[in-house]
Amino acid sequence: MNGVPSRVVLFIGAVLAAVTACDRLPGMPSEVAPPSIGSEAWTRATFNTYCRGCHASGADGASIPLMDRSYWTFASDERVIAATANGQGVMMPAFSQSAGGPFTDDEVMALARGMRGVFGGSSGAGISATIVPGDRANGEGLFANACAPCHRDGAPGGSLVDPAFLALVSDQGLWASTLAGRAVLGMPAWNHAMPSRPSGLTQEEAADIIAFVASHRAAKKDAPP
Amino acid sequence: MKWARVTIAWLESRSGLGAFIKPLMSHRVPASAKWWYVFGSATLMFFVIQVVTGVCLATVYAPSAAEAWASLRYIDSEVPAGWLIRAIHGWSSNAMVVMMAIHGLQVFLHASYKYPRELNWITGVFLLLVVLGLAFTGQVMRWDQDAYWGLGIGASIVDRVPLIGSQMRDLVLGGPIIGGETLNRFFALHVFILPGMAIGLLGLHLALIMRHGISEMPRAGERVDPATYTPAYEARMEREGVPFHPDASQRDMVFCGACLIALIVLAAVYGPFGPGAQPDPTLIDTNPRPDYPFMWIFGAVSLLPPSSETVVMLAAPALLVVWLLLVPLLGRAGERAPSRRPGMMLAAALAVIGIASLTWEGMTSPWSPVMDAWSSLPTPGAMVRGRKALEVQGAIVFQYAQCRNCHALDGEGGRRGPELDSIATRMTPEQLTRQVQQGGGNMPAYGKNLSSAQMSALVSFLATLKPSDEAPADIPGALLPLPSR
Amino acid sequence: MSDPQFEDGGCGGCGCAGRAVSARRGFMSKAGAGLMAVGAVLAGIPVVSFVLGPARKRFDPAWVALGELARFPEGTTRFATFINPIRQPTDGESVKTACWVRCIKAGSSYQVFAINCAHLGCPVRWFEQSKLFLCPCHGGAYYEDGSRAAGPPPRGLFEYAWKLDAGALMIDAGRLPGMEDAP
Repeated sequence: MNGVPSRVVLFIGAVLAAVTACDRLPGMPSEVAPPSIGSEAWTRATFNTYCRGCHASGADGASIPLMDRSYWTFASDERVIAATANGQGVMMPAFSQSAGGPFTDDEVMALARGMRGVFGGSSGAGISATIVPGDRANGEGLFANACAPCHRDGAPGGSLVDPAFLALVSDQGLWASTLAGRAVLGMPAWNHAMPSRPSGLTQEEAADIIAFVASHRAAKKDAPP
Repeated sequence: MKWARVTIAWLESRSGLGAFIKPLMSHRVPASAKWWYVFGSATLMFFVIQVVTGVCLATVYAPSAAEAWASLRYIDSEVPAGWLIRAIHGWSSNAMVVMMAIHGLQVFLHASYKYPRELNWITGVFLLLVVLGLAFTGQVMRWDQDAYWGLGIGASIVDRVPLIGSQMRDLVLGGPIIGGETLNRFFALHVFILPGMAIGLLGLHLALIMRHGISEMPRAGERVDPATYTPAYEARMEREGVPFHPDASQRDMVFCGACLIALIVLAAVYGPFGPGAQPDPTLIDTNPRPDYPFMWIFGAVSLLPPSSETVVMLAAPALLVVWLLLVPLLGRAGERAPSRRPGMMLAAALAVIGIASLTWEGMTSPWSPVMDAWSSLPTPGAMVRGRKALEVQGAIVFQYAQCRNCHALDGEGGRRGPELDSIATRMTPEQLTRQVQQGGGNMPAYGKNLSSAQMSALVSFLATLKPSDEAPADIPGALLPLPSR
Repeated sequence: MSDPQFEDGGCGGCGCAGRAVSARRGFMSKAGAGLMAVGAVLAGIPVVSFVLGPARKRFDPAWVALGELARFPEGTTRFATFINPIRQPTDGESVKTACWVRCIKAGSSYQVFAINCAHLGCPVRWFEQSKLFLCPCHGGAYYEDGSRAAGPPPRGLFEYAWKLDAGALMIDAGRLPGMEDAP
């Protein structure tokens, strides 16, 4: 008696279930709003697309490791913003739109602050983000003592007074590398204890060393023609 | 139930519909026509699905360049089951192309196109062209970045036609740019002209099937002789044939039912195709790719040398179509069995392998630079650890000068040029310098774009790229060239 | 061509009257075919000219401003966009057009390249560091001056004619660049 009606009910129920389930199927396109500028997701995505190639972590990458905390201990926001917007040295490109890059001024600022939030922390007091003037003569002695074991000619770290090397690295770049160290290359940071100097270098000593190294740079800047 | 019988009898008397359909259902088909023969029916089923879902979409889609993209997003997000209808339309379109290819391949393998079914094949070739036209115009309907730049590719190909290319391009685009009229004329093609042609050709195709009957499975040694074929075939059908319904149609139904369920599952699980990013031609951070049915053409045009490219691009499709049209006319008699037609089997195998591998090439497109590789893929740690200061600067130059966009390191990066993990075992520093400076072998010359310091740093880095247990290309310990100054 | 109906005498060879009727019919069908032909030509002219319209119509490119000269510093190649001067009412975003502006000498020497690769029209991207344009579709590469560097393009990038007008860079734009443009 109720064979047919119950089948009808079942059918209608199945159709209703199918219709309501329609919007829960895996194929339904979902609107994912892009992460807002300055959020951690945006910062990471932007860093991974535009910066990571050179500035990766301690494990990979050839330039200053921005994913490591060490850089952020002395880099100021102004310094990072300026370098990101207008470029730095020979090979850091300018990323602001006014210089032909992809970012608006707001995005540059958001990226600089976002990177500090994601990778670093507040910058240490009393350490200059930009290079301070140094004494070349004093630097020569310090270099022989602190750097030459790795950076004399033929040593594993390679010469630093090589004009080709110096043509590619600005004084500011030397400053950042010295202060941040290059863990991936086995180069310690400036305040790292070394056999000859248990407390590492002072800021002024680092500047003296850089003044000595930079004095070997060829007079005319070797820029692309 | 008397009134029902009366009504049906009246309808039959006035329309003759039953008398028309009955022979279609009962016509005799060869008993040997087993599972090989289901693909044509499945193609037809997908076409019907395209018509039904296409009409649904046309009730909401706005065929206007200013609004099409937004209307698709509206269909996806607001219209009940809208995304699913789009998904079914998209998947069914690919399924129809695939099923049609299999159907055509089966007919080709069994040489069913021979006398008296030459015109069946020829209408089939035109159907194939129409369906590919529907697929391309359907891609344009999405009106996203792929659609925009896909039109640009199509326009550039048309543009290369000698003498009248420019006018033809304007005709295709409906004006001097890809714009409003472009979408509208492709819309007219997609919903009026091509479906109309498809329906007409399909009617002819089916009428021809009724007229000549379905071919039997080929047997080696059984030659087709136009003088005797038709009476002999009809006698065999009289003797050994089975009615289309239910003997053959049951297989069609099983196969089509399975295809339909698979289609709905695919659509429900993987969803619709696109639309991709908005069709704003100033957003150039895009990577245009065609839909699957055209991926092999996209692949083919990257592999052609510039000198012969235009000729091949324009002549090859025309020659291919002419050849397909001539196949039944040149081979109307003789053996049908694949084992007796090795040349044709070789052609079919080459076509399948060629299209499959070009499709794969198109999908992976190893010739395309990876545009953000230089800024997103870090130099692998193993390639900087323990390196000298200048070599590390060279690693930076490698990223900076976008070498990575075309050359992979440790499996990551572009595939346009060779992977450079062990380049130092193949090239000396002198050879590396020359290659970077002068280019060659499809590599641009960087001589003017890198300073001598960048060049020497780069080469010193490249000279370290080798497995530690292998010797460098030159004498071990050879000095790197110093920067000239 | 002789009309068989007329030769036979039309309705069974029944004499002069039938002959006259069939003569009239022969005339009617000829006249009818003629009228249909004239009508078809009249109706066909607008249809054909409508369909072929875009191929015949010539569009006059116009001078479009790309912006202040200061936006294009010497020695750089910069991205610029403009609204295509040839517009249709339903174009939407597709009238927005992009190009690359190379400033060789500020205020006197420029090159303006179409965004479209000379191979198959995909949008090329400029890489300042390697001084190359690269195409994402088939890997066409061009040097700073637009000349072909590598890959499948048969020629260099398409260029727009440019002029300076009241401190702004203007280009002669409109048509999607193609083979018609001089190499």
